[in-house]
Amino acid sequence: MNKRNACIIAAGVSVFGERQAHLVDLFQEAAKRCLDDIPGLKPKDIDGLLVATSLGGRTSTQINASPVVAERLGIHPTSICTRLDTLCAGGNSGIILATALVESGMSDVVMVTGAEKLYTPERWEVFYSELNVVDHDWDATQGLGLPPPFFALHAKEHMNHYGTTKEQLAAVAVTNYGYGAANPNAQFQKKLTLEEAMSAPTIAPPFTLYDCCPVTDGGAAAIIACEEKAKEFSDRPLVYIRGTAQLTLHSVSANWPGEHFGDWPHLRLAAKRAYEKAKVGPNDIDVAQTHDCFTISEIIEVEEFGFCKKGEGGPFVASGQINPGGKIPINTDGGLLSCGHPFGATGIRQGAEIMKQLQGRATFQVKGAEIGLAHNLSALCAEHTVVIYGREPVK
Amino acid sequence: MGVTGIPFLDNRYPVTMDVWPMEAKEFNRIYPFYDNLKAGRFTTTKCKKCGHIAYPPRVICPECYSEELEYVDLPKKGKVIVCTEQLRGVPLGFEAPLVHAVVDLGAKSPVKRILSRIINCPAGQLKEGDEVQFVVFDVPAHPIEIKKETKMVERVFFAFEPAAK
Repeated sequence: MNKRNACIIAAGVSVFGERQAHLVDLFQEAAKRCLDDIPGLKPKDIDGLLVATSLGGRTSTQINASPVVAERLGIHPTSICTRLDTLCAGGNSGIILATALVESGMSDVVMVTGAEKLYTPERWEVFYSELNVVDHDWDATQGLGLPPPFFALHAKEHMNHYGTTKEQLAAVAVTNYGYGAANPNAQFQKKLTLEEAMSAPTIAPPFTLYDCCPVTDGGAAAIIACEEKAKEFSDRPLVYIRGTAQLTLHSVSANWPGEHFGDWPHLRLAAKRAYEKAKVGPNDIDVAQTHDCFTISEIIEVEEFGFCKKGEGGPFVASGQINPGGKIPINTDGGLLSCGHPFGATGIRQGAEIMKQLQGRATFQVKGAEIGLAHNLSALCAEHTVVIYGREPVK
Repeated sequence: MGVTGIPFLDNRYPVTMDVWPMEAKEFNRIYPFYDNLKAGRFTTTKCKKCGHIAYPPRVICPECYSEELEYVDLPKKGKVIVCTEQLRGVPLGFEAPLVHAVVDLGAKSPVKRILSRIINCPAGQLKEGDEVQFVVFDVPAHPIEIKKETKMVERVFFAFEPAAK
């Protein structure tokens, strides 16, 4: 039997930000927006449910979330119903698993949803709980739960090895805030000037405020379906999941797989695997969503994905190549920096934007976009997930 | 005084909220690492079958899956490759300045680079190339119920600090 093709046929994203809502409310908001995106599809048509939430067990006191979410959404999954937890990468992990379930024939129509409620009644708690998202006994005990110091060290090493500048970091924030200013779901809907980015308060040198994505509540949901069901339920151009990869080479920061923190061989490998499966290369990507948890992340990602040469990510982002009309517009909905980052929801938000781009209905539409890419990393950059979407299936 | 909002947690120990490891032998098969730490040693496990040294310590060798492991010492001095410091918004249980550095433990070390907190270090002092040394400090003890007895378990942990001049 030939492998079936999997398509993303609908997606919805809740308002992101500091939300007066419970985790379970956010799942419902996201699911409603997702099904509003595809009027022909009803909850009864969904046979699988994948729920990505990581802090649910801490800040929302709900560990075993999938039956709760299924019940509240009126979904009765018969092929799969489970929660998955890869923190920041949970949404993309869900899309990757849904693709495998659909391609294998085990599921036909899967909802992948992710949400987090991270603002707590007292502000200290999410920062404290985040100590549990890294390799706890060995990294959290060094005060490394919150990622700014970790990625600040990446920025410093990238600066030392390749001459990357603070202005180039700021260029990522200015670009992504520019996109997010037009996104009604983004946490920060405002443009940012280079001067504002450069003069913002210090977080952990070289990072200032706009180099870091915020703490965010929010949810997102998407439908992954086999091609036959996609044609049955959707009137829009089909968007195929052409290739995926998810890999982990280490956990504790001391076992970092690269020569230094500016060198991300695990992302290079994930990109290579996804490109091979999708039968495309970096020059075929028309639009991308890469994990801009910090400005330096996006600079290293454009290098490791091969959008520019290794070490040239700084000049690449600062010369307008990621902007509208550039070589490869990136994070065209605002990315993590502007939209915010409710961990399990992020990969699905990214997929939603790529789907819209390939269907010709994005706010910052890349004209004639045929191939798009989404990427998540998680926690202290110990995991990478890549999903490549296309207007045509792999032949 | 009970825990605000959860009065029945008065005088209870909720491990779910503890940042430090369960170091006692009742809860950890790598307790020799923590015993060595209490003696001032920085150690990890080496496989007696294939010789592989893994960090952090294990109960199996990740290369050959042997369970025959021994504890070996790691370098306790290193050099700062890069560093940063957080002055605001540090997690509960840590104090500003929260200084971090990538420490070069030397080409011969099984662990070449370690990302560590640098303690006993005033803000704005640490720079690339500085020598740092391993340091062990006390962290809060916690109770363990054994049958009907409750015993308190002493704990320590480690970081690096600027080397004595």
